[in-house]
Amino acid sequence: MSGRARVKARGIARSPRATEVGRIQASPLPRSVDLSNNEASSSSGFLGTSRLSTNDKYGISSGDAGSTFMERGVKNKEDFMDLSICTREKLAHVRNCKTGSSGIPVKLVTNLFNLDFPQDWQLYQYHVTYIPDLASRRLRIALLYSHSELSNKAKAFDGAILFLSQKLEEKVTELSSETQRGETIKMTITLKRELPSSSPVCIQVFNIIFRKILKKLSMYQIGRNFYNPSEPMEIPQHKLSLWPGFAISVSYFERKLLFSADVSYKVLRNETVLEFMTALCERTGLSCFTQTCEKQLIGLIVLTRYNNRTYSIDDIDWSVKPTHTFQKRDGTEITYVDYYKQQYDITVSDLNQPMLVSLLKKKRNDNSEAQLAHLIPELCFLTGLTDQATSDFQLMKAVAEKTRLSPSGRQQRLARLVDNIQRNTNARFELETWGLHFGSQISLTGRIVPSEKILMQDHICQPVSAADWSKDIRTCKILNAQSLNTWLILCSDRTEYVAESFLNCLRRVAGSMGFNVDCPKIIKVQENPAAFVRAIQQYVDPDVQLVMCILPSNQKTYYDSIKKYLSSDCPVPSQCVLARTLNKQGMMMSIATKIAMQMTCKLGGELWAVEIPLKSLMVVGIDVCKDALSKDVMVVGCVASINPRITRWFSRCILQRTMTDVADCLKVFMTGALNKWYKYNHDLPARIIVYRAGVGDGQLKTLIEYEVPQLLSSVAESSSNTSSRLSVIVVRKKCMPRFFTEMNRTVQNPPLGTVVDSEATRNEWYDFYLISQVACRGTVSPTYYNVIYDDNGLKPDHMQRLTFKLCHLYYNWPGIVSVPAPCQYAHKLTFLVAQSIHKEPSLELANHLFYL
Amino acid sequence: MPNRKASRNAYYFFVQEKIPELRRRGLPVARVADAIPYCSADWAKPVFTPLRRPGMLVPKQNVSPPDMSTLSLKGDQALLGGIFYFLNIFSHGELPPHCEQRFLPCEIGCVKYSLQEGIMADFHSFINPGEIPRGFRFHCQAASDSSHKIPISNFERGHNQATVLQNLYRFIHPNPGNWPPIYCKSDDRTRVNWCLKHMAKASEIRQDLQLLTVEDLVVGIYQQKFLKEPSKTWIRSLLDVAMWDYSSNTRCKWHEENDILFCALAVCKKIAYCISNSLATLFGIQLTEAHVPLQDYEASNSVTPKMVVLDAGRYQKLRVGSSGFSHFNSSNEEQRSNTPIGDYPSGAKISGQNSSVRGRGITRLLESISNSSSNIHKFSNCDTSLSPYMSQKDGYKSFSSLS
Repeated sequence: MSGRARVKARGIARSPRATEVGRIQASPLPRSVDLSNNEASSSSGFLGTSRLSTNDKYGISSGDAGSTFMERGVKNKEDFMDLSICTREKLAHVRNCKTGSSGIPVKLVTNLFNLDFPQDWQLYQYHVTYIPDLASRRLRIALLYSHSELSNKAKAFDGAILFLSQKLEEKVTELSSETQRGETIKMTITLKRELPSSSPVCIQVFNIIFRKILKKLSMYQIGRNFYNPSEPMEIPQHKLSLWPGFAISVSYFERKLLFSADVSYKVLRNETVLEFMTALCERTGLSCFTQTCEKQLIGLIVLTRYNNRTYSIDDIDWSVKPTHTFQKRDGTEITYVDYYKQQYDITVSDLNQPMLVSLLKKKRNDNSEAQLAHLIPELCFLTGLTDQATSDFQLMKAVAEKTRLSPSGRQQRLARLVDNIQRNTNARFELETWGLHFGSQISLTGRIVPSEKILMQDHICQPVSAADWSKDIRTCKILNAQSLNTWLILCSDRTEYVAESFLNCLRRVAGSMGFNVDCPKIIKVQENPAAFVRAIQQYVDPDVQLVMCILPSNQKTYYDSIKKYLSSDCPVPSQCVLARTLNKQGMMMSIATKIAMQMTCKLGGELWAVEIPLKSLMVVGIDVCKDALSKDVMVVGCVASINPRITRWFSRCILQRTMTDVADCLKVFMTGALNKWYKYNHDLPARIIVYRAGVGDGQLKTLIEYEVPQLLSSVAESSSNTSSRLSVIVVRKKCMPRFFTEMNRTVQNPPLGTVVDSEATRNEWYDFYLISQVACRGTVSPTYYNVIYDDNGLKPDHMQRLTFKLCHLYYNWPGIVSVPAPCQYAHKLTFLVAQSIHKEPSLELANHLFYL
Repeated sequence: MPNRKASRNAYYFFVQEKIPELRRRGLPVARVADAIPYCSADWAKPVFTPLRRPGMLVPKQNVSPPDMSTLSLKGDQALLGGIFYFLNIFSHGELPPHCEQRFLPCEIGCVKYSLQEGIMADFHSFINPGEIPRGFRFHCQAASDSSHKIPISNFERGHNQATVLQNLYRFIHPNPGNWPPIYCKSDDRTRVNWCLKHMAKASEIRQDLQLLTVEDLVVGIYQQKFLKEPSKTWIRSLLDVAMWDYSSNTRCKWHEENDILFCALAVCKKIAYCISNSLATLFGIQLTEAHVPLQDYEASNSVTPKMVVLDAGRYQKLRVGSSGFSHFNSSNEEQRSNTPIGDYPSGAKISGQNSSVRGRGITRLLESISNSSSNIHKFSNCDTSLSPYMSQKDGYKSFSSLS
């Protein structure tokens, strides 16, 4: 047997013995690395290490014995880092009041719950040392917990730091215990800090407490969320089951500590890897089985139900069988079969199956060799959906039917969770020992801001619904369109017919919207990407305004190669359409209308506007995205309006080689945008409002200290006397709170334009929620805005309404979108560059919305 | 009776069109025959047009027309004849730093190039990457799938690493003497260097190749020619060009057949094309098929794919019905690959001498003229004046806004 067979088995980190190893390794373990065959394996037996911390975003997780482990110190907790940033106190105009007043008040229910505790509630942080020092965290915890002094107290302990809700009598407490081996261990518990309930550390401890409580409700943590495997929802026709669950968190909102919960689902396949393999073997035959098997399985995520952990399949080891042995941490050899029998009382039935290999995630900043885990296919369940599955319409429909909860369905689920927490004795006991009380669901008052009128060329239209005004503007002319005289259509032989009928249709609809489209040159090419690119190279000359390609299939190479060439090498706007789309006969008119609108924008036209009361306002959108090809390249897309009407846009996309999501090229962009504005308006904008999307947890500080100064300095340098006033707003599409309106004794989605700026917001920030999208099915999610810098001093009312107005200006959709248009444009731009172009698009296209 | 009009060729009509202009210039031109001597220089333009076409679409360069009077032709001659090797080695992804094996070499491409001659020979081979380190199969598979798509196992084309290295050495160093410098893009340098060392470990031959970056080479050439340093942005935009991606006879056969863009040989050839297209032209070298893949453009000029023209009046001139050009290309390539090769190792190809002598007679005539130094000046001017679109208007704009 090769060295591979001795790689440890994984997945028992929750078992007593695995936790005993803990995360702290005192002595270097013997490792034999077989360099000759380049196996990155180790024979060091059990290193039940990294998993404990890596599966948990907070770096804090609970073990089975009611203990809580914590990372040393609480410095790098991404989620909690943002909490210590106070931006509101620097903004004088909102220091006293950040709420607006305009609009119709509306009563809203939320997914937030009160969490009550006594006024004088405090948390006591202790440090525990052991003499002689113990490496095993498991042992440390066991020894400390066995003491009667602590046994009936609410506590959280990670092996070094101990949190108690009640103070110990002495500042320094000395305890001693005896281990099973007869050693006497002295423990010193020293009080380090007394923390008020508002401290970020307390928030962390509250989160730990609730995690324990959810475990007591027999829910399992997978990733960050908790799922209930005992109540699966089955979709038998697709061999899927869904585990219902919740994402939870506890944090300080405007005035109070609140518990928030949102419904989440885990999609699992009712098929073990072994069953999958057997079925595959029957289908393909033995000859190419290993190859196809590797192709289909490698890269998938599996779940082992014995410990409810997930692993990715990185390799398959065909030479190892369950009857082979591996070395445990204590040095003894055991077969996989015996191990599972002993540890989980599971009998492995197929003794000839190969083993799956998973590369374990490493501890941070640890340059040690990779650790491998061997898993038994019989015990691994496939999770998630493959690409093949996601493209299966029926399957996705079936999943959506189960997972898309209506507001009332969601409300019921929340009520049940709360009920469970309050009824379960263990859970209630845990809460009570900490001195906490689970309170009522929060309801608050939001406001519905007035709807917007859409300004067309010679008509002002008040759409029936802001969600989609395509019908309302059908007869109106668009604001401004350049006529399209010289352009090309590339199509294949097979698609020539549809191309012609589409062209007729396009010219008709374009004419009625005031966009003059001349006859193009139609070029027939063969059906391969090379032929398309060559034809473009051959026929595109400086006169060509636009190239339309009718693509025979949605193969990515067609789109990528065309976009790459036409966005940077030879900058000409391009429009790609799938032939399949044009074959939908009944929808030809609406498809042609959408494409005509896109083409207008790509040529520099303007479709519609909304009334913007502020004169000389520039709005900017910034988004970031990782490049699809090289993961260390960050694509930063910036879009700025260049006219007071906010209908024309300047864009720039910059690729930077950094590992963080922070942009360091904003000055170049901002200077360029201000120059453009000056060129068109002969003055600088009086106000600049920047919407920054793509901000992750814990980045607020970096943003304030690094990005805002870049913007400020370019604004300051642009003019010698009065410089423009700047505001920076962080936009987040994903946020915990959900809002429902109560109507006829059921709950519903709140109407478009609902603003929430109290209770669910944070006291230290100038923030608000805005609902600017509709959900036909399911629950609508609000968009969260956090104003981190504001020189403009606009009233909160105006800031909210302006943001709402900007959500109407995305030209790729005749309706309102979930984020302000500049953000959506920046997102489209970064996505195009990250997925297809992989380099900076030519600046000659910067004044057009070529990325639509 | 034969139709007399049939004898009128394109040149006749060209000259006929030119007559009014010549008259305006005050030349005594009564009929076509009189005008011919005045038109032959202009006739050269259409010959250049297809050649220059690629250049027109390339990222606009900010190369000011060279000031020819300050150039020393002797220094140029050495530079023009200098031979460079462009090398690239592809890997199945990059493994994390703690692994002993950082890369898994799977494909190698190398071209021999000079400014004067263009690509003189090329070398390509697939490499057997060896066993994938346990646990990294997914990592390697994903890296391969997102780029060159070479299968990570059961790929029978892969050659033994030692053999490949030996063949590479024979390709770049067939005769005893100094080893020539080898160039690769700076982004690839770590990988290529690591792979070379790794492959050398497997074989007995020890030869530390001097691996330099193409970016530095371009700086060097530019400096020597114009005595000033080009900007980094300019070099990057010069080398990072998508337009040759699908050119025929650029990728290796396997990548061409499977229509995959990422090919080690193609990377090297595209470096050669880019340098030819932007630098060699500045030296007044006329681009041949060995410099850039001309046949695509020449072929497409004479053999236009089927085309429906709705706006008939406007595009009447372009309407020439014939079969597609891909057929033309493939036969061309086959012919080239079948050419027997002398003492070169397997995988190496030498461009046939005949390839530079093609096109119309006038091309050859011009070539012979261009060999005499006195005419270089005239031709370079001709080049630049032909593409004002490239160097003046847009090139300047986009460039200045970048820096």
